[in-house]
Amino acid sequence: MRNISIVFLVFVGFAFQSCTKDDPIIKEGNYSEVLENIANDVILATYKDLNDKTIDLHTALIALQTSPDQNNLLAAQQAWREARKPWEQSEGFLYGPVDQKGIDPAMDSWPVNQTDLDAVLASTHALTKDFIDGLDGTLKGFHTIEYLLFGVDSKKAVTDFTPRQFEYLIGCSASLQGATALLYDSWKPDGGNYIANVIHAGTTGNSIYPSQKSALEEFTNGMSGIADEVANGKINDPFTQQNVTLEESRFSANSKQDFADNIRSIRHIYLGVYQNATGKGLSQIVLAKDAALDAQIRSDIDEAISSIEAINSTFTSAIFNSKESVQNAQNKVRNLQQTIESKLLPLISNL
Amino acid sequence: MRAMTRLRFFLPVLLMLLSTLGCRPDEPLVVAPDEDVNLGGGTTFKGSFVNIFDQPAANLSPAEQEMHFRSDILFGDKFVSAPAEVNQGLGPVFNQNSCENCHVANGRSPFPVAPDDMRGLLFRWSIPGVDAVNAPLPIPGFGGQLQNKAIFGVQPEAKISWQEIEEVKAYVDGEKVNLRHFNFTITDGYKPLPDGYLLSPRIAPPVVGLGLLESIAPEDILRNADPDDVNQDGISGRANYVWNYRTGTRELGRFGWKANVPTLLQQTAGAYNGDMGVTSPYFPKENCAGQIQADGFTDDPEIDEETLQLATFYTQSLAVPQRRNWDDPQVRQGKVIFSELKCSSCHVPAFVTSANAQFDFLRSQKIFPYTDLLLHDMGEGLADHRPDFEATGTEWRTPPLWAVGLVKMIGGPEAGYLHDGRARTLAEAILWHGGEAEQSKEAFRKLDKSKRAALIRFLESL
Repeated sequence: MRNISIVFLVFVGFAFQSCTKDDPIIKEGNYSEVLENIANDVILATYKDLNDKTIDLHTALIALQTSPDQNNLLAAQQAWREARKPWEQSEGFLYGPVDQKGIDPAMDSWPVNQTDLDAVLASTHALTKDFIDGLDGTLKGFHTIEYLLFGVDSKKAVTDFTPRQFEYLIGCSASLQGATALLYDSWKPDGGNYIANVIHAGTTGNSIYPSQKSALEEFTNGMSGIADEVANGKINDPFTQQNVTLEESRFSANSKQDFADNIRSIRHIYLGVYQNATGKGLSQIVLAKDAALDAQIRSDIDEAISSIEAINSTFTSAIFNSKESVQNAQNKVRNLQQTIESKLLPLISNL
Repeated sequence: MRAMTRLRFFLPVLLMLLSTLGCRPDEPLVVAPDEDVNLGGGTTFKGSFVNIFDQPAANLSPAEQEMHFRSDILFGDKFVSAPAEVNQGLGPVFNQNSCENCHVANGRSPFPVAPDDMRGLLFRWSIPGVDAVNAPLPIPGFGGQLQNKAIFGVQPEAKISWQEIEEVKAYVDGEKVNLRHFNFTITDGYKPLPDGYLLSPRIAPPVVGLGLLESIAPEDILRNADPDDVNQDGISGRANYVWNYRTGTRELGRFGWKANVPTLLQQTAGAYNGDMGVTSPYFPKENCAGQIQADGFTDDPEIDEETLQLATFYTQSLAVPQRRNWDDPQVRQGKVIFSELKCSSCHVPAFVTSANAQFDFLRSQKIFPYTDLLLHDMGEGLADHRPDFEATGTEWRTPPLWAVGLVKMIGGPEAGYLHDGRARTLAEAILWHGGEAEQSKEAFRKLDKSKRAALIRFLESL
């Protein structure tokens, strides 16, 4: 590839000196710092955190099996919530290995296939990681663990667990951790190095992003995609149909946290931050062109998160008992989506 | 960009010229250098990123856009075993539990890494002979498609394994190239399979642009047909005539690797039923009806007509991405070579969709799918030896080439080309062409390295 491109460059140089527009090798501007920071300090850092937290979850479940008491149950449930955070905070960048390697369906399929799960538990199969790896996505991943760990109403007691359920949770969390490890490894520079496609967007031989702008467009589309999913899927379906069975993280009553973390993934990409890291994000590009838009996006993000957190009690209850607060949150997320699609996307596309 | 705008004025003239050609042309079609930038006409979306197959057509009305976003959710729905509160109806035997598990990011499925997850690869199978509507005869006790997965406690119909076989071929200039193909083996049948059954691998294709292909008037497709090769160019081009199971009529086939499906509604209902085991008003009988795997529930149809129609709408309303690097001199050179090699005799560049298409956004669109939607004998190397309606065991439908340059970007390194994903590169895919495409393939083999690269660069720009 590299040789061909060099020959091609020389060819262009001699024969078509006047033709330079839209050449993939010529950069529209230098966004290397933004790309590198988002790739390393947001995307890779989130995936590393996710993998660390699924290791903790697996450990907590082993502790629960070993000493099934209330403290260990609460610790395991909290470990599930902690692992769920970085995953939800990664849903603003669902592209690349997470799709290509079938990792998303292995980790986050919903709903849980409860009929089959009951049948598996009632069987005599050894519930090893390998066995669970081979099952459909709806029998493993976050939501299967959630179902077994919290019960259908978050009120599961230690005494409600069967030995087979513990065994399933151990195998299932090992399988989940295998998936997060594969995801992190696929992006790592010393692993699959998918990160190089983003960092080196627009350089010769980059088969994913022909320009830096195309990587920035990917970020922006990822942001609008998750805002759309939160507003028009995750909130909308249970709310408009008044049906709790359509709520994704109902068993753990974690939906508000899920929604807010999804919006945080937008904030992380936009500002280029994750946890303690600080660096450049899309915000710096916008600020240079349209300071008012930058302020609007920041404020739309903040309002979306605060209105989700302001939903009264649990989401399950609020869709019936506090419709205004749910409606307000949905509106605020839709505002954010609208701003991204009608203002941010055009700005990035016209760079 | 100014030059582009001016070129648009020539487009209608050129298209008129194309549409007046009476039959498969003797001279290769030449599409003016930049007229096909917007491959999908008014639906075209400009950009180049991994989630680009996930964009709604650019010319949807606000109401259609809203419908598109609702339909998008259906494409991701995961089905589970009955009884269930949500998305009940998976299996009992199936290939995958959701549309997007095969059509990964709406693109071409990666070839499976191992048989425990087949991704978007499935197998049609049959016994020799045809039924009352000329469809292939299902294998008694196994049906017309191998469902290699099952809900827990139910035995899948069979399992698949395969060997990869590498062959070394050479261009005329001596440069070597490895070609890969697969020897598939069926194992673990839930009962013995009859001798002499026919097996055809099919990998999930991209979902973009399908509404536009559905909107080409039959007469515009048939105009390119030359079943008896009257013009003696070695290329026939035959229409497949297949069964519309809703209207009970024989119709022109367009979809599927052998053009064995007439409409996207039937394609979608067939995928729900055959691939996921989900019944609909269109195909209300379980795919394993009469087999020991059948569940005996009376919950059919498991999705309603509205859901089926909406999921179908998703496949009709996705944007085709704009070409990239179209004004790159090497790409332009490759485009000329594409015509010189007569690739465009089957990969017909241009059509105008019907003014009577189902939705306004699909009507009278100037599109550049690079397919004639007809069947061609592709030679022994690609043959599946499984006739499908009027398609013979060596014929395949010309696949569209729009967006072919995005296959790897979207599907990753395992995403391949051709009906079973065997070709790892576009060059390998070309070298597998035989039969009616033998001369074009040989002409490609004879090109020097720089011209081969130019042709590939052109394909990558689509």
